[in-house]
Amino acid sequence: MKNSLPFVLLAISATVAAIRIRSRLRARAAKNAKPAKDGQLAEAAKPKRPARAWLDSDLITVSPRAHELGLVAGRELSERLRGRLFRIGTLLILVAVAAAIVIPTLHKNHPTPQNVGVVSTLTPAVQSAVRSAASAAAAGTGTTATLITEPDAAAARDAVHAGRLTVAVIDDPNQGVNLLVDESPDPKATSVTAQFVRSLSVVLGEDASFQSAGLTTQQASQVADTRPLSISSLRPAAKRPSGAFSVIGIILIFMMLTQYNTWTLMGVMEEKSSRVAEVLLSAVRPARLLAGKVLGIGVAAFAQAALIVTFALVVAQSVGSTLMRGSGPLAVAASLTWLLLGYAFYSWVYAAAGSLAERRDQVQSVALPLSMPILFGYAISLSTITSGAPSTFYRVLAYLPPTAPFAMPTLVGFGDVAWWQFAASVVVSLVATVGVARFAAVVYRRSILRTGRRVGLRDLFGGARPQPSAGN
Amino acid sequence: MPGPLRLRHLTRRFGALTALDDLTFDVPAGQVTGFLGHNGAGKTTTMRAVFGLTDLDSGEVRWDDAPLSQEQRRRFGYMPEERGLYPAMPVGDQLRYLGRLHGLSARAAERAVDTWLERLGLPGRAASKVEELSHGNQQRVQLAAALLHDPDLLVLDEPLSGLDPTGMDAIGEVLVDQARAGKCVLFSSHQLDQVEDLCETVVIIAHGHLVATGTVDELAAGGPRRLVVRVAGDRDATWAKELPGVSISESERGAVRLILDEATDSDTVLRAAMTAGRVTEFVFERRRLSEVFREAIA
Repeated sequence: MKNSLPFVLLAISATVAAIRIRSRLRARAAKNAKPAKDGQLAEAAKPKRPARAWLDSDLITVSPRAHELGLVAGRELSERLRGRLFRIGTLLILVAVAAAIVIPTLHKNHPTPQNVGVVSTLTPAVQSAVRSAASAAAAGTGTTATLITEPDAAAARDAVHAGRLTVAVIDDPNQGVNLLVDESPDPKATSVTAQFVRSLSVVLGEDASFQSAGLTTQQASQVADTRPLSISSLRPAAKRPSGAFSVIGIILIFMMLTQYNTWTLMGVMEEKSSRVAEVLLSAVRPARLLAGKVLGIGVAAFAQAALIVTFALVVAQSVGSTLMRGSGPLAVAASLTWLLLGYAFYSWVYAAAGSLAERRDQVQSVALPLSMPILFGYAISLSTITSGAPSTFYRVLAYLPPTAPFAMPTLVGFGDVAWWQFAASVVVSLVATVGVARFAAVVYRRSILRTGRRVGLRDLFGGARPQPSAGN
Repeated sequence: MPGPLRLRHLTRRFGALTALDDLTFDVPAGQVTGFLGHNGAGKTTTMRAVFGLTDLDSGEVRWDDAPLSQEQRRRFGYMPEERGLYPAMPVGDQLRYLGRLHGLSARAAERAVDTWLERLGLPGRAASKVEELSHGNQQRVQLAAALLHDPDLLVLDEPLSGLDPTGMDAIGEVLVDQARAGKCVLFSSHQLDQVEDLCETVVIIAHGHLVATGTVDELAAGGPRRLVVRVAGDRDATWAKELPGVSISESERGAVRLILDEATDSDTVLRAAMTAGRVTEFVFERRRLSEVFREAIA
């Protein structure tokens, strides 16, 4: 745990180094590709085949459809990976994930030592009682206590005020022995300091009671050492979510769905506004262009998600975070599955929506209604995790494709889902995705080439529709 | 020779507007065919219909006397009026991608990109982004995109617009070469002088239907006789204004272009000109394409 920081720094710097080396190699390749003199192509320094070659193999003889799909998807993928925003964004997410995992463990493992002031005017008996009470309270709250002797109550008050002492034990003429802190503690505060002060006040109070009751030291320690009776129950305790990962998983799904869908939306819109769509569609059928786009961005998206989750697991393991204990791995698998299914479902909708718009300002009005079910699923999942008890309504949401990507992994986190329920929801989602894809392909085909203004749904489906052209 | 491309009874309505109205013509192989019409006549809609980019209410596009398939369409090259390239993608990557979408292997696409960038005067620009290029060079890249896969048919919507004379010559030369190689080439333009120089055949449409088609020679040969006369010192050609049986087509820096009625004797015109001053030019000319065009769409 103490060695965790170097691990994290190493992981981050390795990622940064890998990205820098890759971009430097690309830059060098591009430089070499330029001819030495105008009009002469340097044969040896021709541009290397791009990195997407694995997706780019000559499929055309096997299947023209797969060939086109692979080409379109390959371009999307390499354009994403080439993008500076993607690299910087990934890096920032990795840093945020590392921070979210490491900071709590640092906080837990290195509590602030507590300085306890003792006024020298107190009787030696009281001073020794404070000494033993302080170490007992410190042990109970997982910290260490140091006793500092102050000459009088006024000096102790100054030291507390200046923050040199957490708490001072002083002798007040009116109240007798009491504890002095700088700020009145919240009775519900859970910080180590608050717990320490409460514990110290209880131990010292008990001590005073034992003394006034005339108990010997042995009797006192016997009384102080009482153990509570064990409690047995007729019903098992209510199930709680496995904890942190459900929340992190839901936040990740929300962030990624929003981000990846925006890529699809903007990508389609930009192809329309730059009129590339017209050139592409003179060679490729609309449905294939659309499918290639969704597939390519999907691969980039899932690669990023897998990198982030793997990184999170490695960091959590190396700092000994409790994040991945218990049902954690199952929740991770469920979250990744639903990230994929959620992307598959929503990406078609967003792609079709992108084909309705031609400028960035039109995108806003198109995207807003689409983001509502995502926001709704996200918000209700977070509140359900907080409340700890999923409602019947929430269980229904776990089977509806728009909200299932949030609700189902949450229920898995609760340990509340049978495998067949999970499978049923997956099947519902897949079937819905196929339906949505078909609908999206129709919308896309009818709207991608209509330029000038935002295309309304009435334009696509209302009125007398022209027949498809011959030979189409 | 491949083709020809046959457009048969194409009709397309946008609400109350009829963009194409029973339009029928052929684009023969081995020739450059000029496609003329005023703005909004339906040229772009026709070209998009060839690529299935616009739905048709009726009619059919045929290739080599068979209905047009998607496979065959991939063997066509298209340069749309509003240029379409990815602004931030390097030229080389972009062209390779488009070439491969048209069915080239990775290696063949690589070779074709090098060849065409060189040929169109853009060597060494493969790594530049499209948005970094000048308008003229973007236009050349767009043309390269249409040519990479050695298409059977080239359809170019206003390929010459916004180009300087060098650019026009370069693109014109490529079109003629393609036609010489036996390809079908159809291009639209408002630069009628260039069309006259480049094209063997011309198709003129107005309001979505065909108004004239034929070879440039056939179209130019028809109609009344044209006579260009220049009289020294008479820049406004006032002498010609009162001549019976003669109308002035245009007058330019002292040279007047006259259209003679059937019955008018050119000797009468010459005598009138000599009376006005010293005659420095007296030439019979065939109709210009611009005149054919204006008469056709009038």
